[in-house]
Order: sequence, then structure tokens, then C-alpha cells
Amino acid sequence: MSGAGSTDSAERLLSRLVTMLAFALPVIFVLVPLAIFLVYSFFSVDQGTIVHVPTLGNYARFFTDPIFLPVFWNTIVLCVSVAVICILLAYPAAYFLTTLKGRWRYALLMLLLVPLLMSYVIKIYAIRSILGLNGFLNKALVALGILDQPSTLFVFNMNAILLTLSLLLIPFAILPIFLSLERIPQTLLRASDDLGASGLQTFLRITLPLSMPGVASAASFVFVLAIGDFLTPQMVGGISGFTFGRILYSQFGTAYNWPFGAALSVALAIVVIAAILVGERFGRSRGTSV
Amino acid sequence: MGLKRLFLKMAIGLGIGLMTSAAFAANLRVLAWDGYADADWVKDFTASTGIGVDVVFIGSDDEIWAKIKGSEGQDFDVFAVNTAQLQRYIKADLVSPIDITKLPNQKDVLPRFRDLSQVSGDTKDGKVYGIPFCFDSIGLIYDTDKVKPAPTSMSVLWDPAYKGKILAYDNGEHNFSFTALTLGYKDPFNLDAEQMAAVKAKLVELKRNVLSFYTTADEAQQIYQNNDVALIWANYGQQQVKALQKIGAHVAYVNPSEGALAWLDNWVISKGVRDNAAAEKWIDFMLSKKIGGELSERTGFGNTVVESSSAGGNDKLVWLNNVEDPLKRSDMWNEVKATP
Repeated sequence: MSGAGSTDSAERLLSRLVTMLAFALPVIFVLVPLAIFLVYSFFSVDQGTIVHVPTLGNYARFFTDPIFLPVFWNTIVLCVSVAVICILLAYPAAYFLTTLKGRWRYALLMLLLVPLLMSYVIKIYAIRSILGLNGFLNKALVALGILDQPSTLFVFNMNAILLTLSLLLIPFAILPIFLSLERIPQTLLRASDDLGASGLQTFLRITLPLSMPGVASAASFVFVLAIGDFLTPQMVGGISGFTFGRILYSQFGTAYNWPFGAALSVALAIVVIAAILVGERFGRSRGTSV
Repeated sequence: MGLKRLFLKMAIGLGIGLMTSAAFAANLRVLAWDGYADADWVKDFTASTGIGVDVVFIGSDDEIWAKIKGSEGQDFDVFAVNTAQLQRYIKADLVSPIDITKLPNQKDVLPRFRDLSQVSGDTKDGKVYGIPFCFDSIGLIYDTDKVKPAPTSMSVLWDPAYKGKILAYDNGEHNFSFTALTLGYKDPFNLDAEQMAAVKAKLVELKRNVLSFYTTADEAQQIYQNNDVALIWANYGQQQVKALQKIGAHVAYVNPSEGALAWLDNWVISKGVRDNAAAEKWIDFMLSKKIGGELSERTGFGNTVVESSSAGGNDKLVWLNNVEDPLKRSDMWNEVKATP
């Protein structure tokens, strides 16, 4: 009797420990670092050492200095464009996948996701050599007679960042859209067909609205990943492709101005959180209304 | 991310610290960059002097500071540090003055390193603290097929004839310094507000003439291979030239006539040195012709004893120094990059 009681309490202790651990991990590894970041953003730097006196100077500088807001805004526009391009390319691909039967569907899906297994840096290097002046894209366009001579339109500018980010992030758009398309009950499509709707009508009035949650989460995924990226703009952006991520990076690397970098990160985090919330909300409301 | 790396570094530093303090008490304790204390040299040194050596390698200036400052100089006898950093160690009383009469080989070094009072950063109040050992200039790499005649000044980077064919380096501090030299300013490391503004305007012009700003030597090489590049501002000096020549590029290297920025590493003796004579022997051994030649051969860097391709005898080298306000330069560099 007493033995059973002790194993019982031991079990309870264990489960309490597990629960505590489950709460402690996100607190220690997510909330605490974020809080530290937030606190740092109110410090300042003097002669290379961090001054631990709270100030709003970093935020004031972000809003008043003429370089930060325009770059911030341009970066948001860039990342929204990346999200739009990714959706436009990923939707047909995902739709095509759902029309396939059985094994083929998943084999192809896996193929589309294979690039995710490759190192991110190697992909940027590869894309950059494709886009370069002597790269594959220029050579192909010249060989096809579309261009007279190699163009610098595709490398070391904003276009290059747009192209590279889109290419890198497409798999993240395909997956959620595919999942939402796959979840649409076939019976709905058949019912629409039985009631005399054309293929286009069925797509516009049933498939498309029901897949919107997938599109929304795909868009917020891609946007968030694109806006947090500094390596791609650094490597393919050249002289005109200056993004917020690059400014942020420079505050930690070369400038050694962690507090200001932290304040810029907070600004970025607000946009990211907003994007995730919008994606989430959009996705859910459409999903539950059916 | 930054914090995490800091902790990792601290943990590694602690680990190495524990390991070194457990090593033999009588050995000479050397802290050096990779390539400055190769195993065969250490073996030769021990064979000829009977002094055992423990070497710890470091990977960054910050790491040297952390190790030396962390033990107030007690953990190492000799270490390598560049001229820009050395003054900081002198100020913090972490290094001992060196009696150069104890270093017979110092008399036979290359002319520019013979009078140490002329090497900025190596002396303070008439006392010598650093013995130059290894250096490299930050010159200009040019494609010999595309750039004719051969350039002699960094001003070629502003030449519209090479618009879109120039690779520059993504670093505000260095870019302000070399542009200041190109504009003819005396002290490129201490610019007043007016000079800063002039340099910034000049850098905006530079930006409009370049193809891209690179950060690593590999990256510059890859861009060179896939694009039409004529000129590279060579932050990595000789190493970069050699790597490009290896892939068959027709490139040459020049130190600009207005003066090339250059880094210079020195051997210094720490405050906590246990056997000063052994430390002097180590430094003198490192200044031998054999080691100097092998150092340049193995690393591609210039040595202070025999001529190497880093710099000819008449090339003007400007030893890197601490700049007036690194933060200001970095901010202004961001402004340059953000200018449309």
C-alpha cells in the first residue's frame, strides 16, 4: 500500500518536473533572450563600451535619421514583392501536385523540397554565379538572341535580391499551399460539378477560397524569412541593394553598437510579429467559416 | 546570437586557460596566430636552446586581449599583436619593454624595420615594446589585360573607364582611411569633421563606380570569375593575389604611391613573463633569415627579415592604427551605402 503510494507520488513529481521543463525551456531560450534584447535597446554605447543607463535615444535616432526609415520601407516593399512572386509561382505548382495521383504526388513534392537540404550559402553562391555577367542566365539570353550583350540587370542590385530570395524561399510557399489544397474535400468539388458549375467556377468559388489559409500562411512565412535575411542582400545586393538586414548586421559586426542594433531588431520584430499575426488571422477566419 | 557566441568563446577560453595552466611550469608560453609558431620551428628552437615551448593559437584580436587582460599577463610569456592594438596593452601595463641589444638578429632586418622609433606604435616614451615580425599591405589588384597602363594610385578606382568593373571591400574604417590617403590627408586615422565629410562624398562617388563590396577573399574570387572585374581593392593582400593567380587570372599587385595601408604584427613580452632571457631568445630566433623566408613562403605574408612580394623597398606603407571614432565611421559608411 505504502509502496504504491510512493510510486504514485514519484510519478506525480516526475510529471510536475516534465511540466516545469516544458514551460522552462521556451522561457529560458525564447522569452529571456528576447527580454534581454528589449532591455539592451534602451542602452547606449560610448567609446566601445555599453552604457547601462536607460535612454530612448536609439529609437529617436531610428525615426529621425534620414537613412533608416527609407531603407526600412524599401526592405518591406522588397519582401512583400518576394512573397507575392513566391505565391504566384508556388500556387500553380502546388495545384498541379494535387492533381497527381498517389505515389507521384509525394515523390514530386519531395523533389521540390530537396533544395531545402542544401546549404543556404552554397545556394546563394550558385545563384550568384548563374546571375553574373558571365553567368548561365546571361549566356543563355545572349545565345537565344534575346540580348545583344550580357546585361548587368540581374546581379548586384535590388533585382538580384528579389530573384535570389524568391528562388530560395519558394519551397516554403509550396508546402502550406499544397497542404491546404489537399485538405479540400473532394466531395465539395464533385457537388459543385454536379450542380453544373464549370471548372473555372469551381476553382474560383470553392478551391481558391478554401485554399486561402494556406496562401496566407505561405505569404507570412516567406515575408518573415525574407525580411530577416541579411546574407542574401549582402552577397548579391551590390551597391544599390541596401537593405535593413544589412544595416542591422553592421551594428553588431563592424560598428559594435549592440544597443542600437537591438533597437533596430525590435523595429524589425514588430513588423515580423505583425506579419505572422495577419497571416494567422487571415488563415484561421477563412478556415473556420466553412 | 551575439551573446551566445560570447558565452561559447568564454567557455572555450576558459578551457584553454585551464589546459595551459596545467602545462609544464618551465616551458616558454607563447600565444600566437596560426602560422607564426609552426611545429618544426618550435622543434628547432627547443633543439638549439633547450627551452621547451607551449603554443596557444588565437583567432582574433579580441581573443588575445581577453587572454592577456584576463590573466593580467600572467598566463603567457610572449605573444603576437599588431601595432594598432599594442598601444592599448602598453597603456594597460600588460607588456614589458624589450632590450633590443639582446636581439642580435634585429640589426639585420629590412631597412624599414631597423629603427623601431620610426615604426608607429612599437615604442612609447623611448622604450621598445614590439618587435615587428610579419606584415602585409592592402594594395590594389589589377587585371593586366584590362588595366593599361598599370595603375600607380588608388585614384584609378574612381576612373569612369572602369565603372562597374571594380570590387571594393565592405568596411567603413578601412575605406575612410584609404580614401583619406588618396585625398592626400596626412593622418588617415584621425580625420576632422570637414575631412570626414569630404571622404564621405568621395566614397559615394566610389560606390557609384564599383560593381560590389565583398567581405571574404573567396567571395571576391568568385565574383571575379563570373563577372567582368578589372580592379580589386585587396584587403587580403598577397593571399588574394596568389589565389587568383592559381585559378589562371592575369593579375598583378601594386602598392599605391600615396601609401598603402598595411598591418604589422609584432612579438611582445608580457608583464607576467617568467624567464625574460628565454622570451628574448624566442624573438631573436623568429627574426632569423630562415624563419622569415619560410614564413613568407608558407603564409604569403611579408616578413621583416628578407624581401617578399608584399612590398618593395621603396613602397610607402602606412601602418594601420586605431581610428578616431570607429562607430562614427561605421555609421557614415552605412550612410554611404544607403545613398541612392
